[in-house]
Amino acid sequence: MALGADATRRRLSQTASSWVDRHFRWLLVSPAVVLILALTIFPLGYAIWVAFVTYDFNIPGHAWRGIDNFKEVVTDPNARKAIATTAWLATAAVAIELVIGLLLALAMVRPFRGRRWLIPIFLLPLFMSPVIVGQFWALLLTEPFGPTNWLLGAISGSDVNIRWTTQTPWAYFSILLADAWQWTPFMFVILLAGLSAIPDDLYSAADLDGARPRQAFFFVTLPLLLPVMLVAVAFRVIDAAKIFDVIYVLTKGGPGTDTYTASYYLYEQGFQLFHLGRGTAGAWMFMILLSVVSYWLVRRLLKPVEA
Amino acid sequence: MAQVTIEHLGKTFSEGTEAVRDLSLEIGDGELVVLVGPSGCGKTTTLRMVAGLEETTSGTITIGDRVVNHLPPRERDIAMVFQNYALYPHKTVYENLAFPLKLRRLSKPEIDDRVRRSARLLGLEDLLGRKPRQLSGGQRQRVAMGRAIVREPQAFLMDEPLSNLDAKLRTQMRAEIHRLQRELQATTIYVTHDQVEAMTLGDRVALLRKGELQQMATPQELYDKPTNVFVAGFIGSPAMNFVGAELGRRDGHLEVTFGQQSLRLHESEARPGLEAYIGRRCVLGIRPEHLEDAALESGAPADRRFRGKVEVREGLGSEVVVHFQVEAPPTLTEDVRELALDVDAAALADLEREQQLHETVFVGRFGASTKAAEGDAVEVVAEHGALHFFDAESGRRISL
Ligand SMILES: Nc1ncnc2c1ncn2[C@@H]1O[C@H](COP(=O)(O)OP(=O)(O)O)[C@@H](O)[C@H]1O
Ligand SMILES: [Mg+2]
Repeated sequence: MALGADATRRRLSQTASSWVDRHFRWLLVSPAVVLILALTIFPLGYAIWVAFVTYDFNIPGHAWRGIDNFKEVVTDPNARKAIATTAWLATAAVAIELVIGLLLALAMVRPFRGRRWLIPIFLLPLFMSPVIVGQFWALLLTEPFGPTNWLLGAISGSDVNIRWTTQTPWAYFSILLADAWQWTPFMFVILLAGLSAIPDDLYSAADLDGARPRQAFFFVTLPLLLPVMLVAVAFRVIDAAKIFDVIYVLTKGGPGTDTYTASYYLYEQGFQLFHLGRGTAGAWMFMILLSVVSYWLVRRLLKPVEA
Repeated sequence: MAQVTIEHLGKTFSEGTEAVRDLSLEIGDGELVVLVGPSGCGKTTTLRMVAGLEETTSGTITIGDRVVNHLPPRERDIAMVFQNYALYPHKTVYENLAFPLKLRRLSKPEIDDRVRRSARLLGLEDLLGRKPRQLSGGQRQRVAMGRAIVREPQAFLMDEPLSNLDAKLRTQMRAEIHRLQRELQATTIYVTHDQVEAMTLGDRVALLRKGELQQMATPQELYDKPTNVFVAGFIGSPAMNFVGAELGRRDGHLEVTFGQQSLRLHESEARPGLEAYIGRRCVLGIRPEHLEDAALESGAPADRRFRGKVEVREGLGSEVVVHFQVEAPPTLTEDVRELALDVDAAALADLEREQQLHETVFVGRFGASTKAAEGDAVEVVAEHGALHFFDAESGRRISL
């Protein structure tokens, strides 16, 4: 009897240990799986659910709404305006950054005295938080304390009274200024790397082949820089479409809803008006839209490179 | 095609490196002149100045009857083949060839005609649609040649065009360049640091050292009558043997002594200029191919023989290259040092050690049937006309 119990216990512990043996690898990965589930899958699933219910701090309960949240966003004129604003602001910002970044890179690709010091200084804005950059431009621009109007007045000799952050179109200008100030260095450094990678001998060959500097730029520099340029543009467009911090600090979406971007609109829906269900539904749609645009950008822009 | 004249050309870079000094060359219409010399002697700099890619510090460059010093490259009407080919990577072979013509605003049919003609000349017809990265090294080399040819320029400049190819392909492309150059009667300046290329390709060869012209002559003259120790040591492979020696007279004949051994000068070697060196130190030079194992030349006179100890034996099938030690101090003039350094730093260290030991290593190219074995003593014969003499201080050939 005692022997039988012993044997049973032994058999039990044997099966237990062989079970551990067989599933040991799963035990090893389980913390990671749990972490991913908790941090990614669960919030994602939760966000899907939120998008389809009433989730509003002013309304008790989470009644099922079907696609009503989505409908409300799509039919909201402010949302449509915000998408348009986002599109053109992002395009304009990236275009400005591309042109200035390219000019700077062209100017700095040849070594000269002090270049070693100048390049890191150029890159400083990249390392700042966008909120700080926004705050910094707010201090410079916002009337009546910002020195910008005073400086322009001193230069032009007449009173300048521009409301940089609360007046259209100056509010756009301020946002583009802050964004370009921060992100032109990104274009600059990537294009500089691209330019430095073009062998000098190619320019010598072009020169002997009869190319003037302008022709060398269009027939040698530009085609060889194109792949790098397209990658930089794709990165920046995707990033600029999500612009939020600078707007939050500089214009708060104003004047009116003129500088509402997609991100700012969604923020307002969710965290100012507490329509979390609607905000989440909008966020899903924006994410899908941005994915489609990015996919198109990457496919479309990178195609000539592969050919 | 046109004649290219370089007069008193000088180049000092802004940080002070004097890359070229007082260089004068004349490249005749349709002639191929090779600029040769060790790495860093100013060959590329010279070529780039002719091309207009580098400013001259002094001197004039004339192409045809135009002084081109102040013309930009595109107005000089010359083509250059670069060491790394410098093909436009984003253009097809066809577009690479067509580019210089397009810039000259030639008509489409004319461009097409000329591109196809050049492509046929170089066997590129099947590759016209490819991008450079889809080509092998040899094919890229051809495209680079094609891009030069297609423009029908006044002159060709080539900067070590074969140095990126493997040995077999290099020999083949060398022959091809030779054929093309003859066919097109193209005035060409060809830069290389490979003396075999220089000797086989050049109508004339200009040998540079530290930016200065050492000698400009036909390959044969360069080989037979090198003007100084540097030229003598650079041309020929394996390189000429040098040993510190003294000239003397015995029985009315000139004789040269190195260490304890002497050789009598043959009449073809006994120049009157040598009289002035009797009793003085000089440098004796003998090419490896002019040495033979005495055992294979039984009839050779005793006064043309000397002894050494075999260090290394390298059988090549058709011949045997033998390195042997001779008891005599090697010469360590500036020229010899630089030649050794061009091989590598270890070669110079070897030379310095030999000097300490009073031993000189000779290299001989013996007949395949030689029995010389490592560690053995060997008796060696110097052929008639084999002895070259140079001034011990200046390194200059003792001529006249
Ligand atoms: N752009 C330059 N700036 C400064 N020195 C240079 C430059 N190009 C070449 N040199 C120097 O000039 C000398 C000759 O160089 P180069 O003409 O390239 O030699 P080679 O082609 O015979 O090997 C070398 O000492 C080299 O270091
Ligand atoms: Mg060179």
